[in-house]
Amino acid sequence: MSVRILWEFLAAFIGTIAFALLFQVPKKYYGLCGLIGGIGWVCYEVFLLWCSAPVSTFLANVAVVFLSRLFAVRIKCPVTVFLISGIFPLVPGAGIYWTAYYIVTNELELAGQRGFLTLKIAVAIVLSILLVFEFPQGLFRKFWLKK
Amino acid sequence: MEKQDNREALDAASLAGDILLASGAEIFRVEETIFRIARAYGVESSDAFVLSSGIFLTAGSEREQDFARVRHIPLSAARLDKVTAVNQLSREIEEGRHTPAEARKRLLEIQHMPPKPKSHQVLASGVGSACFCFLFGGDVVDSAAAFAAGILLYLYLLYLVRGRLSKIAANLSGGALVTLFGILLYQCGIGHHLGEMIIGSIIPLVPGVAFTTAIRDIADEDYIAGAVRMLDALLVTFCIAMGVGLVIMAWHHFAGGTLL
Repeated sequence: MSVRILWEFLAAFIGTIAFALLFQVPKKYYGLCGLIGGIGWVCYEVFLLWCSAPVSTFLANVAVVFLSRLFAVRIKCPVTVFLISGIFPLVPGAGIYWTAYYIVTNELELAGQRGFLTLKIAVAIVLSILLVFEFPQGLFRKFWLKK
Repeated sequence: MEKQDNREALDAASLAGDILLASGAEIFRVEETIFRIARAYGVESSDAFVLSSGIFLTAGSEREQDFARVRHIPLSAARLDKVTAVNQLSREIEEGRHTPAEARKRLLEIQHMPPKPKSHQVLASGVGSACFCFLFGGDVVDSAAAFAAGILLYLYLLYLVRGRLSKIAANLSGGALVTLFGILLYQCGIGHHLGEMIIGSIIPLVPGVAFTTAIRDIADEDYIAGAVRMLDALLVTFCIAMGVGLVIMAWHHFAGGTLL
């Protein structure tokens, strides 16, 4: 388990950087983008031991958005840069595939289950972004001063 | 002199807004940047109304000259490098480090910043696909197959499609292409989990940027822009699913369900 998690962190780290490149993020931010993506994924996997997929997506994504805002304040750059790249590992790509798959293979009950699960995960992502963006900007500034 | 300055300042502000919006920034950031640049150059009466596809900017009061500009900006791919650069520049303008003319020159430079080389993008798509295939439970061989599919996908998008197809057609055919490629590899005995291979390779198409920005726009109460972007994200998702589904269905039909 622990070795697997390490590999997964690495895969999420590199995968996030790959997508950061596709969105044309400047090179100097690759490391931080990867870090956020990796941490987000590891959080997701760890929370998954106790919670359902939507709940762990929510919790992991809270971490992703929080870190994105923190780094954005710290190095004075748009939060979008970290947020979009870091969120990518948590976007329910698998859900899209399995929903389409079950629909065309006519297993409509499974398709319904998968579709709703994907929707729940998307809603979890929405809620976590809304939640963390309600925190005042000053909070993040203070956080760095304390350190 | 005063009049000329006003005009140049608003030109710069409007150009900054243009670049930000075309690069996929949130509406809030676009409005804020236009307002900040205008104010930094002493134009107090500027008023910007920004939608996801256009900017309406006016200024004018008893003391200030009238100015109005409407810009249409089509939805396009994310360019976070430009967003970052304009953000940095607007910070510098607020510190008073550029005249309006200089600022405009810098903005034009930013507007024409070259994207990352195509070879890097193609490679990144492959690496991203492989990594995500692994994350979703594929093994090393599956990831290698996803790597090839990701590369193929971006070669297709960058060289063959190149804006010639509508977004709908591009995503539908892209999804279909990687699915077909995955199935063919799987049939040749390369890869063990077809699902994970295909999931990894469709990830570069997934509209993460539109989705995230849509949520943030809606959170900022820019409902129109948020709704348009959300529709964009949903449509793209739907198209990918259709592309994947159509190929699986066709294969099922012709191969008689041997594979699935």
